[in-house]
Amino acid sequence: MKNKTRFIMACLFLIIFLPSCGGGGSTAGDEVRLLLAAYTTPREAYGEIIPLFQEYWFEMSGQKVIFEESYLGSGAQSRAVVDGFEADIVALSLEADVTRIQQAGLITHDWKAGEYNGIVTTSIVSFAVRRGNPKNIRDWDDLIDPGIEILTPNPHMSGGAMWNILGLYGAALRGHVEGVPANDHTAAANFLRQILANVSVMDKSARESILNYEMGIGDLAITYENEVLVGRNSGQTYELVIPTSTIVIQNPIAIIDTNVDKHGTRVVAEAFVDFLYTREAQDIFARHGLRVVNTEAAAASASQYPEVEDLFTIDYFGGWDVVMVDYFGLEGIYNQAIQQVHRGE
Amino acid sequence: MNLALEWRKERRQPGVWLLRGPSILFLVLIVFIPVLVIFQDGFREGLDRFMYQISLPIARHAILLTLWTSALMTIINAVMGLITAYVLVRYEFPGKRLINAIVDLPLAIPTLVTGIMLVILYGPQQAFGVFLMEKLGLRIVFAPPGIVMALLFITFPFVVRTIQPILEDLDQTQERAAATLGANPWSIFRKIVLPALILPTLGGSLLSFSRAVGEFGAIVIVAGNIPLRTQTAAVYVFSQVESENRLGASAVSIVLILISFAVLLIVNAIHKYWGAH
Repeated sequence: MKNKTRFIMACLFLIIFLPSCGGGGSTAGDEVRLLLAAYTTPREAYGEIIPLFQEYWFEMSGQKVIFEESYLGSGAQSRAVVDGFEADIVALSLEADVTRIQQAGLITHDWKAGEYNGIVTTSIVSFAVRRGNPKNIRDWDDLIDPGIEILTPNPHMSGGAMWNILGLYGAALRGHVEGVPANDHTAAANFLRQILANVSVMDKSARESILNYEMGIGDLAITYENEVLVGRNSGQTYELVIPTSTIVIQNPIAIIDTNVDKHGTRVVAEAFVDFLYTREAQDIFARHGLRVVNTEAAAASASQYPEVEDLFTIDYFGGWDVVMVDYFGLEGIYNQAIQQVHRGE
Repeated sequence: MNLALEWRKERRQPGVWLLRGPSILFLVLIVFIPVLVIFQDGFREGLDRFMYQISLPIARHAILLTLWTSALMTIINAVMGLITAYVLVRYEFPGKRLINAIVDLPLAIPTLVTGIMLVILYGPQQAFGVFLMEKLGLRIVFAPPGIVMALLFITFPFVVRTIQPILEDLDQTQERAAATLGANPWSIFRKIVLPALILPTLGGSLLSFSRAVGEFGAIVIVAGNIPLRTQTAAVYVFSQVESENRLGASAVSIVLILISFAVLLIVNAIHKYWGAH
């Protein structure tokens, strides 16, 4: 009797869990599966790069690589991997999302050790303005003019939205916003409040924010340069404005050690990541609006990507660990500012 | 003794354990345990931290915004739902069957789509939205009116469909008698029909309230989601999940669950009372 129950339990267990095993990727002779979990922005670029890599890898090793691709918001993707989504490689929009996976013990190597510190593409925080720039928006200080309606996603829902807040705050702190003295946190926070007061919609992702902007809502969207370039390439009429001072958005890529070892895909996964830094792949990223890290590819696309007068990185704020608490924690700078803006309402 | 006997008798009924066991197990597995987990999660750091989380200004505002928009929607729904049900049951007119079918349409439309429809209609892409905004200065989407409109759309069938069967079953002899005695139609409605419909209307609208409190899909599109202005509780919960504050997400979720559950208990009590009379 007891044995029978146990047998039934075992069967149930198998039925429930078996299909989820081996789904992540595996090697079978001359065929290999790679599961790529990425944020949504580079989807089209990967669509072009992957076939090139498949060809390259087949010539190199005689192995056929089958890709399974998953595209989600960066934070959601990262949490899914932590919760057991067996991706071999993650391509995310910010380092903090990779750090989360690392802290869960799934990435055991130093993923930032390589030549490019684990960063495969970059972009910058900039503005999308209406055709002809009717409100004459040139720089950060124009955003606080009365009557300007701003779209930016919610930093608590979209990892990417944090870049926007950091971009404007950093520009103010570094003395590149008219009327805001440098290195003055009180003044920078005040400037942040003034901008937040003009924000009318906070979407849950950067993509939704720009889509709402395309629907005619708002005077300007704080967004990434690549979103504006991609939108313009697909026929949108809004224009790109790059402020004098802004932050570099760095998009990391990493191999998930526990998963590649489990699937036996380490070699091909590493080859794919290396391939992403080749001139060929980087040119494709550059065509899809992203700034690239490979020096030759960057030089070739330089005309498309003007230099910014004052460019800073997350390191200016002390890295993501600091930023997540001091700026976006429950009592962080952003939360305080938004509460002060709408106090009493 | 008596109880034990009855219990035994019941036990002898064929299929009791076969049906009752799995159904209770199913309920526990599908509904009860997930809800329990949220409670456990929300209180894992004690009552103080729970209270702290729900009293944060952004959280508190989100809960209050959810409650007042849902309440406003409920009142409008109660009145309009009652009228709609009355018209659909008591009047014959061309296209009635079609209208009757349209009442259920909101149930079949994903609420996300509801949000998109409203943004298109009232946003700057359509002449109507431009007219409202520029000529009348009315802002519907990305403002609280948009939240109420979305909730109205989503919960519209609730009141109508609760009242309809009751109105259909309502014995009309009293109304005929009153009419024969010379009462005008309005006082017949007010004195005979309305009293019979008050409880079902209340039940239906509270049900819609309880449904509205947790709405996310449509709201996240139409509301604008500005903390302390247009961010509702469900959207706040999502924002806290996304920003690693699961305690805050669970705490506010518990508040939502408790409100909804309390309202559902009231609805049940109403049904019971109404069944007894």
